[in-house]
This record gives sequence, C-alpha cells and structure tokens, in this order.
Amino acid sequence: MSLDYLMDIARPMLEGAQTTIILFLIAILLSIPLGYCITLLANSSIRILSWLAHTFIYVIRGTPLLLQLLFFCFGLPMLPVIGEYLVMDRFMAACLGFVINYAAYFAEIFRGGLLSIDKGQHEAAKVLGLNKWQTMRKVILPQMTRVALPAMANESITLVKDTALLYAVAVPELLHYAQTAVNRDFTIMPFVVAGVIYLLMTLVLTLFFKALERRFKYE
Amino acid sequence: MTMIEVSDMKKTYGSVDVLQKVRFTVEPGEVVAVIGPSGSGKSTMLRSLIHLEEIDGGSIRIGGESLVEDGRYAAPSVIRQITSRMGMVFQHFNLFPHLTVQQNLELAPKMVKRENAALIRSRSTELLAKVGLADKAGAHPAKLSGGQKQRVAIARALMMSPDILLFDEPTSALDPELTGEVLQVIKQLASEKITMVIVTHEMNFARDVADRVIFMDNGEIAESGTPEQIFGNPQLERTRAFLKL
Ligand SMILES: Nc1ncnc2c1ncn2[C@@H]1O[C@H](COP(=O)(O)OP(=O)(O)OP(=O)(O)O)[C@@H](O)[C@H]1O
Ligand SMILES: [Mg+2]
Repeated sequence: MSLDYLMDIARPMLEGAQTTIILFLIAILLSIPLGYCITLLANSSIRILSWLAHTFIYVIRGTPLLLQLLFFCFGLPMLPVIGEYLVMDRFMAACLGFVINYAAYFAEIFRGGLLSIDKGQHEAAKVLGLNKWQTMRKVILPQMTRVALPAMANESITLVKDTALLYAVAVPELLHYAQTAVNRDFTIMPFVVAGVIYLLMTLVLTLFFKALERRFKYE
Repeated sequence: MTMIEVSDMKKTYGSVDVLQKVRFTVEPGEVVAVIGPSGSGKSTMLRSLIHLEEIDGGSIRIGGESLVEDGRYAAPSVIRQITSRMGMVFQHFNLFPHLTVQQNLELAPKMVKRENAALIRSRSTELLAKVGLADKAGAHPAKLSGGQKQRVAIARALMMSPDILLFDEPTSALDPELTGEVLQVIKQLASEKITMVIVTHEMNFARDVADRVIFMDNGEIAESGTPEQIFGNPQLERTRAFLKL
C-alpha cells in the first residue's frame, strides 16, 4: 500500500467530499432559518397555521429521509400537470429534500427550546413595554438558541453522515468514489479514507459548536 | 388626581371567583401594602392592574385614564400607553439571564423609548449606584445573590421612569438574611414619594413603610386602613386570625 496509491484514490474522493460539503452548507444554512419560521408558525395563535406546521413536522419526521429524497429527485416530475415544471438537477432536488427534512427536525428542537423558557421572561418583557416582536428577538430567541445548541450540534453531525444518501439518488459524492475504488482495486483502503474524511468533517463541526456553546454561555 | 382607581373588579377562573367586588383607590405618592392568606387573590389583583391578567368585570383607571371600564378593555395602543406608566417587580426577579446587569437595565429604554444611548447609560449607572450595585454592571444575573438580583430588577423597572411601581412579594424568594437589603431600597423609594402597591408577607415591613394596608381574603378586600388600624385594632375576626392576634 503505497503513499502514491493513497494520493491516487484520495483525489477523486476529496472532489466527492466537495459535493458533500456544499450539500451540507446549503442544507444547514437554509434549514435552520426555515426551522425557526416553522417553530413560529407552530406557536402561532392562528389555528390553521399552527396545525399546518405541526402536520408538516409530523409527516417529515414520520417518514424516511431516503423516501423523501427519492420523492424529490424522481417523484416530483411524475406529478400530474405540474410535474413537467418540477424537473430539476438531481443535486438541487436532493438539496431541497435535505433542507425540508432538516427544517422539520430543527423546528422540533427550537420548539423544545421555546417551551423551556420561563413565562416570567415574557411577563418581564411585557411590563417593560417590549412588543411581541422585540420580546422574541431580544429576550426569547437568544435564550432559546442557547438551550437548542447541543441538540443542533447533534443534528448537524447527523446531517454530515446523511449526505451519504446522495449515493442512493446517484449524485456522485464522497462515498460514491470510495465504492468505485473498492470495486476497481479490491481493497478496503478507500472506505478507510472515506471514514477519515467524514471524521475530519464531524470533528470540525464538533469544535465549532463547542466554541459556539462557550460563547453563548452567560455567566 | 387619583393614581389608581379600581371598582367592582371581578375575575373568574372557570367557575371559581378569584376576585369579586374589589374596589380601592391609591393617591399619588401613597404606599399601599396588600396582605392576606395564600390564594386570596393578591397576585391576580396586582397583575390585573398592569394587564398581565384580564379581568371579567369592573373598571380600572390609572392616572384618570381607563384601562378597562365595566369589563370593556381600551384599544391595544391605549392599553400599552397606560401600562407604560407602571413598573412591576416579581417574586422571582425575572431578570434576563443572557444579558449583563447593565444590559438588563438598558434593554427596554433602548428598544421602547429609543432614547439617546449616552443618556441611557448615565441613568443606568446612576440607578445601579442607587441600589448599591455599581460594581456589578458587567456581571450576569447568575453571578448575583437573590437580594442583588431583586435590586437589579427594581433598578430595571425604574429605568422606565414609572409613576407607579407594583411589587408581588419581592422578598418571598429570598433567604431571610437577604430581605433587608431589598426592603431598604423599597423604603428609600417610598421616601421619594413614588406611588407603590406592594403585596407582601413581611408584616413588620408593611407596618413600617405603608401609608395604608389592604387585607384581602377570599377574593375580596375584607378590611383596609392605616397600619395602626389594621395591625393595632383590626375590626374583623378573620383579620385577627390572619395576623394571629
Ligand atoms: N391561571 C389560573 N388558573 C386557575 N386558577 C388560578 C390561576 N391563577 C390563580 N388561580 C387561583 O386564583 C386564586 C387566587 O390566586 P392568587 O395567585 O392571586 O393568590 P395570592 O393571594 O397571590 O396567593 P399567594 O399568597 O400564594 O401568592 C387561587 O385560588 C388560585 O388557585
Ligand atoms: Mg401571589
């Protein structure tokens, strides 16, 4: 097992890792704000909005992510009438699936964070004259984010690993290139390399969230 | 002009009347202590004044303006404007844990009144000194003792320059040795003629600081009068029983 061989297989795999990272970034950057919005809807006093948000969370969390990905990549274009307008690049379709799936999970995490905040916080803000929006932004969201951070870190690490599901909708990524090399060369080394790359990514994330948690610790 | 005017205040939870026919007035600069057994409706009455609870009947006027008239509430903007004349201090402080002491004081003036930052800073510094916590400006609430937290909460309420301050058992969550420092601050405010309504279990303090004492029982005002009358010569048997005279 030469160093040259390692370099040889690592190059396409790092390229694949790029796809993984891009998917990760798109998914995390869009699903967190979307998750916030869904949480707000779920807590809305308008019944139908709250019902819709809860139903959305229930459906997404109650079905496999793989099924959702297959639906977005191959199912959407088969819908009657509107299907033909929904043909998109498979990577984009997969991104959409990931964003929607993770938004539901983040929404559930934020909802838990919201429930953990004492009602005295709302009351104190109210008697000081803050309106609902100011209270949310300046009092509730910062506290809720802190409560939610550990669960968000978990979810983000799961997302890194879930990107491997791209394999199933035939978008070439890290795992795809590893599998190709294994089949070609009859060695498991590419799997080991893939594992190390995933580990590096989750390590960076873990450190990032640790730093964030320190920053949000108030005392 | 009368500061607080309450008449026929009524509040029900389900089929239970927790407040009925509550009527009283508070004059400017007056300090009123509210005492009574647990569950008698003291908190509900106080919270209704600042619209943390909605009453089901009766009227509340603050500085002559109607918050609610015969059970009908004013428009939301009017309610906001009327309640902005009052501040409230809670039993459990309800400080914002993610903000420093000084930020706790400055949040509302910045967000609500949009005053000049330098002006806000000088007032918050001044008020922290007044409650004896000048050295804690940069600390987070988690680092403070209960007594210090409550003094911060009082300073935070004062930042909005309220005409009326409401206290709901401000010392009940404190260790006995820490109540003194909080009561001292409230006494100081009393001497400055800020109108205050204080729900309290501290009878000595009530006797000391209040111009008038209201004894509540079973959702109504059973008896009210000067501290001398209520503590020295209560008219009702249940007042005597409560005070264990
Ligand atoms: N949200 C609520 N739902 C139902 N009942 C309530 C609610 N809040 C208060 N009550 C009832 O209203 C009555 C008055 O409560 P309140 O908290 O005003 O009493 P209190 O005099 O402040 O008592 P304490 O000295 O224990 O603080 C009690 O019987 C209480 O059980
Ligand atoms: Mg109470």
